[in-house]
Amino acid sequence: MKLFRRVLSASMLGAALVSTAAAADLDEVVARGELIWAADQEGGGPHVFPDPANPQRLTGFEVELAALLAEELGVKARFQQGQWDRLPLLLGRAADCVINGIELTPERQRDYHCSRPYFAYSLQLLPRRDGPLDTFHTLASPGPKGRWRVGVLTGSAAESVMRSRTDLEVDVIGYDGTIDSLEQVLTGVLDAAVMDDCIFNFYADRFSRLRTVDRPFAGGFYTILTAGDSPKLSAAIDVAIGRLIADGRLKSLYDRWDLAGRQQMLMLRDAAEIPVARRKSLGELARDTLPLLLKSAGMTVLLSCLAFPLAVCIGLAVAVGRMYGPVWLRPLLTAYVEVLRGTPLMLQLYAIFFLLPKIGLALPALVAAVIGLALNYSAYESEIYRAGLKAVPLGQFEASLSLGLSKWQALRHVLVPQAVRIVMPPVTSDFIALFKDTSVCSAITVIELTKRYSVLALSTGRIVELAVVTALLYLCMSWPLALLSRWVEQRLERPAAGGGMTEG
Amino acid sequence: MFTVSSLTKSWTHLRVLDDVSLTGAEGTVTALVGPSGSGKSTLLRCLNGLETFDAGEITIAGHRLAAGPHAPGLLERLRRDVGMVFQQFNLFAHLSTVDNVALAPRVVLGLSAAESRARGLELLDRVGLRAFANARPATLSGGQQQRVAIARALAMRPRVMLFDEPTSALDPEMTAEVMGVIVELARAGQTMVVVTHDHGFARRAASRVVELAAGRVVRQGLAADVL
Ligand SMILES: Nc1ncnc2c1ncn2[C@@H]1O[C@H](COP(=O)(O)OP(=O)(O)OP(=O)(O)O)[C@@H](O)[C@H]1O
Ligand SMILES: [Mg+2]
Repeated sequence: MKLFRRVLSASMLGAALVSTAAAADLDEVVARGELIWAADQEGGGPHVFPDPANPQRLTGFEVELAALLAEELGVKARFQQGQWDRLPLLLGRAADCVINGIELTPERQRDYHCSRPYFAYSLQLLPRRDGPLDTFHTLASPGPKGRWRVGVLTGSAAESVMRSRTDLEVDVIGYDGTIDSLEQVLTGVLDAAVMDDCIFNFYADRFSRLRTVDRPFAGGFYTILTAGDSPKLSAAIDVAIGRLIADGRLKSLYDRWDLAGRQQMLMLRDAAEIPVARRKSLGELARDTLPLLLKSAGMTVLLSCLAFPLAVCIGLAVAVGRMYGPVWLRPLLTAYVEVLRGTPLMLQLYAIFFLLPKIGLALPALVAAVIGLALNYSAYESEIYRAGLKAVPLGQFEASLSLGLSKWQALRHVLVPQAVRIVMPPVTSDFIALFKDTSVCSAITVIELTKRYSVLALSTGRIVELAVVTALLYLCMSWPLALLSRWVEQRLERPAAGGGMTEG
Repeated sequence: MFTVSSLTKSWTHLRVLDDVSLTGAEGTVTALVGPSGSGKSTLLRCLNGLETFDAGEITIAGHRLAAGPHAPGLLERLRRDVGMVFQQFNLFAHLSTVDNVALAPRVVLGLSAAESRARGLELLDRVGLRAFANARPATLSGGQQQRVAIARALAMRPRVMLFDEPTSALDPEMTAEVMGVIVELARAGQTMVVVTHDHGFARRAASRVVELAAGRVVRQGLAADVL
């Protein structure tokens, strides 16, 4: 039920965004004396990133662009951090505009106000130098290991272009971090990455074992987003960009950042009109999104149902080891629990998925996600089982020993089955918690329901409709789970009846 | 069947058992009496290795326990031959009564599920509780629970049975039914050591009475002489 409420409140927030939020228009920006622009500094260079010489300070060509634009409006520029694929949600609430390599697309033209282009990007295929991919065309037929695995930034133009190319033998994998995919190409998990050429050029030295293939195979323009109901601000930004192009300030900015200023100016001059996407009918929306939502719901169930039993088994073993194991083992297990409880799940998943390949252990994302969730939750489960074992009266242990059972037999047949029954309620509620925590796995490319919702909601602009569907899906999953755990609880409460000698 | 010689045990500063010696022949019932805190439970728990001791020696059912920590393997072998019944019953709360009785034969002796269950039912029959075979311990009265606990200990066919105040948590009526079972066992020749405050029972069923006070044996002999 908590899940349901969470998705509902997210949808209400979405509704507020779409209909009622009054965006700050030009008058308010001027009165405030600040143009608040949103970007994701994690997105990295050359757009917006912490200055290596002084990490307190942000730098990047868009930082300078924002300053120039603000100057044109007669105000100061103020930076607002946000997660890249959700930056548009900040409009009208925490930011006046978004300046962060946002590609101009028909969908964005429909849902936001898009400024005139300020930068031309092109998409590059980036395989390893020593790999089998030497032309883009190679992707049209299967590679030595079957379909090619290509990484992209979730929500980027690279993703939508690659996903639309059904003519290619390619599995597209979305990453939350801009250069995560480059790392994964280095370690061999991916065959190639696809991203804007300016990003790769910026990091080319760090990833010298990767290279570009052919000429860019697609391209487009970056745009500045403003809220749909701030027409004066939008117009002012368009005028400002025009002046920066006309008087050469934009060209020299790009030259300073080694972004081929002259070429940029030529491409911006020739920028063609991009059509505005049509709003989909409900039927089309359902047809296009339901299969994806259902598939991702399946992933949520799969992750929970694989990870939780594993977490319970490991947790139980750790609890028993800490209480009854050899003395040398106990501090090690205590450390295991404290490390896993004391660090964020996100970090653990990241370590398993991105760092293990560096020592030659590349796990598929699903396996990494299951292991990460299981290890993280095993720490919590072990604490619960420890409390459960402590709650079993000492007399039960002594009675077992007095019958000639060994310590381990007593644990296996008497203490653990009783502890399992005692801790059933907290363990059940942890199952629900894990069910929700599966959404963290999107950080390592596993797309489950919450992530799918947010991707689809942003790409279709149908935040409310999709939230309702997503909430219903969660309800359809959590209801049977609740029934199942209640059934298990009741079953365990009954004694081993009839002919059986069943223990826990 | 058992011999305790010069047993001494202390809890930090308190000397709980002080040079305790006693013996019990096969088929006899030894009643341990004495005021509260005199060390009766401690002595009984030393007999099946639930407690260690500081000096002296115990031989019981052919096993020898020395002072200091015991080897686990030795204790497991010893406890197959020495059963124990607790004041608080300590039935396994998650198992039905028949499974309580059948657990140790199956797990420790390796009997099949069917054999151990048959043994469980037979022993429940012997303590008059066969009808409650599938009941949860928590649904039984105290006296019934203690009878199941006795059946559970008997399931290992121990050579010596130890009882620690088996009826002091029970009201008089239930005391009588449990005492009835124990007297029955005594008649059948089961070697037993029974800690009890019930002098009537001691007179009726015990071959010998040992009286402890402040950790020392103050009197021992025939029931009629000591009490
Ligand atoms: N685990 C322990 N730690 C410290 N002292 C203990 C412990 N167990 C028992 N004692 C002490 O040892 C002494 C003897 O205890 P014991 O339980 O053997 O007496 P008892 O004769 O069985 O008494 P009761 O008739 O009350 O059951 C008591 O003073 C008791 O407080
Ligand atoms: Mg006592």
